[in-house]
Amino acid sequence: MFLNEMQEEVRETTRSFVDNVIRPAAEALDREERFPAEIYEEMGKLGLFGIAVPEELGGPGFDTLTYAVVMEELSRGYASVADQCGLVELISTLLVRHGTPEQQKMLPDILSMKRKVAYCITEPEAGTDVSGIRTTAVRDGDGWVLNGGKIWIHNAPVADTGFVLARTDKEAGNRGMSIFIVDLHAKGVERGPKEHKMGQRASQVGALDFSDVRLGSDALLGEMNRGFHMMMSVLDKGRVGIAALAVGIAQAGLEAAVDYAGTRKQFGKHISEFQGVQWLLADMAKDIEAARLLVHSAATKIDRGQDATRSCSMAKCFAGDMAVARTADAVQVFGGSGYIRGFEVERLYRDAKITQIYEGTNQIQRMIIARELLRKGARA
Amino acid sequence: MKILVPVKRVVDYNVRIRVRPDGSGVDLANVKMSMNPFDEIAVEEAIRLKEKGVATEVVVVSIGVAQAKDTLRTALAMGADRAILVTATDDVNVDLEPLSVAQILSKVVANEQPGLVIAGKQAIDNDMNATGQMLAALLGWGQGTFASSVTIEDGSALVTREVDGGLQTIKLKLPAVVTTDLRLNEPRYVALPNIMKAKKKPLEEVSLDTLGVAVRSRLTVLKTVEPPQRHAGVKVGSVDELVSKLKNEAGVL
Ligand SMILES: Cc1cc2nc3c(=O)[nH]c(=O)nc-3n(C[C@H](O)[C@H](O)[C@H](O)COP(=O)(O)OP(=O)(O)OC[C@H]3O[C@@H](n4cnc5c(N)ncnc54)[C@H](O)[C@@H]3O)c2cc1C
Ligand SMILES: Cc1cc2nc3c(=O)[nH]c(=O)nc-3n(C[C@H](O)[C@H](O)[C@H](O)COP(=O)(O)OP(=O)(O)OC[C@H]3O[C@@H](n4cnc5c(N)ncnc54)[C@H](O)[C@@H]3O)c2cc1C
Repeated sequence: MFLNEMQEEVRETTRSFVDNVIRPAAEALDREERFPAEIYEEMGKLGLFGIAVPEELGGPGFDTLTYAVVMEELSRGYASVADQCGLVELISTLLVRHGTPEQQKMLPDILSMKRKVAYCITEPEAGTDVSGIRTTAVRDGDGWVLNGGKIWIHNAPVADTGFVLARTDKEAGNRGMSIFIVDLHAKGVERGPKEHKMGQRASQVGALDFSDVRLGSDALLGEMNRGFHMMMSVLDKGRVGIAALAVGIAQAGLEAAVDYAGTRKQFGKHISEFQGVQWLLADMAKDIEAARLLVHSAATKIDRGQDATRSCSMAKCFAGDMAVARTADAVQVFGGSGYIRGFEVERLYRDAKITQIYEGTNQIQRMIIARELLRKGARA
Repeated sequence: MKILVPVKRVVDYNVRIRVRPDGSGVDLANVKMSMNPFDEIAVEEAIRLKEKGVATEVVVVSIGVAQAKDTLRTALAMGADRAILVTATDDVNVDLEPLSVAQILSKVVANEQPGLVIAGKQAIDNDMNATGQMLAALLGWGQGTFASSVTIEDGSALVTREVDGGLQTIKLKLPAVVTTDLRLNEPRYVALPNIMKAKKKPLEEVSLDTLGVAVRSRLTVLKTVEPPQRHAGVKVGSVDELVSKLKNEAGVL
């Protein structure tokens, strides 16, 4: 939308780092499925983690719109790197809102990536329907004992600290879950192997198993039995982040497609001179712009303290669907080359798909949009 | 020691330049503008000297339109302490001539009394390569141009200059003017928290009247033209053909 000077400057700064450091590294990171510790260390120094963490807690203290701008730019370089930024943002938002001063002391280490974190919700029987989780934390003296298992947890193979959703009251449904801060190097924690994924392959995703893991009295984050609600309270921001990430992937595809169309010749002309190709490029550009505007509008609503739920779901759903469709177009503009490993657009198409699945599947986003419409009325 | 760094707002180096239809200059409306890359190197050098404890304060100054404030904010976010904007025009298409800029800078120098001025060797828009030299002349200071290394010791600056065919090291008595070449340093990325902090650093605006200088133009632009289109190359069939073409057509052998 219409960014202020400071947001523009953040965008320019992030972009130059992305163009020089992240985008050139993406192809190899994807091929090797490697965790880019050195890039994250540099990002930590530049304040590219925990964008909205207040200055007094060690962050840059920007608003949600600035966070969305950073996410888009990072993702334009490589979506896995942006997703790491999104993960750190979620965890630090939880800590800022619900952490004790003692717990908040870990923020600087989280923002510098000295301490790697994981957000552990999903289980084999509980994906979209979080209320199905079976991991339990049972009172034991002044602490708890944790048992259960999580799957598809981003950073699980490398993380130091898990933020784990566990059941603390069997009878109470959504009002019987709590979030615990768990040392993943502790006794009783087992890590599964790294999953080999379709896209965002530098993101290390895997399972965690907890058997009789002892938690101290300081492990509980926020209020007992309010874990589900705390998780839901950061979902809006999470969705804006993933929506911006989807826009960044598609934007990289558009840039690559425009460049290629202006150099590739067939029938004695640049393919950019053929209307069939021009219409592909035009559709890509207009849908990316529309998604970006949805993202900025949703972020602005959050910043103004307005009800943002419908906007955030619309942004996430539209941007995810758009990214998959428009990176497919980018592959199309490249012809056969677009189908070959090593060409950026081939990776972008794979990286885009997950944006329709994580942070609430796009079916769920549509459910939320419809629910909000039917509850609060259809007026804009 | 205080260091003064002049910074210019120029067309971003990534922008595809278009000449205005009347040939009076380059189209600057709605074009992305950034800090002149050589000035970025100058700011970086000044900040490094401050970090080493050699300098105590880094002041950046820009001369031109109000929008140059953005450029100054970037310099503040990199680590400069304070900024001065000399508002010299409200027309983004006006490009002040080097002598005018040097005259204005000499007034700023008189007010600020820096021990060193570090400027870019040239601005990438008009490539004049003159402001630093003219400023040194107006002030009667020594100058070390095209610097690839700067060391301060005992009231002097040791400046290694990139000259044709090699490097030359000279010793300048301070105060002096140094202009930066490409290899002096690699400017840092701005850290996000510093963008926020730069908002709170002082940025003073002064007018030409306050400084007591008048801008007079001495140069007239007759025309501006696009570089000629590059033509496609030709493939040669053999080394003999290549040698013959280089001899007879290109005239380089
Ligand atoms: C790369 C990657 C990273 C991940 N990172 C994390 C992480 O860090 N932490 C974490 O906790 N989890 C993580 N996940 C898990 C992710 O959040 C889940 O995959 C997601 O919530 C979907 O759950 P599921 O896979 O079990 O699908 P399911 O819930 O089984 O859904 C299958 C299909 O059914 C549809 N569906 C389900 N319910 C309904 C309904 N009521 N109406 C209509 N359609 C419905 C879904 O939309 C989907 O299309 C990650 C997953 C991946 C692949
Ligand atoms: C996995 C794979 C297997 C293959 N196997 C074989 C094989 O066994 N044998 C073989 O000979 N080839 C094979 N190919 C090559 C394949 O046939 C070509 O990739 C295909 O013909 C497209 O040509 P191109 O890749 O050069 O794309 P281009 O021709 O460069 O096309 C690029 C884009 O421009 C568009 N375009 C081009 N001209 C026009 C126009 N006039 N108007 C509108 N749009 C236009 C195209 O539709 C496309 O979107 C294979 C390719 C792949 C990826």
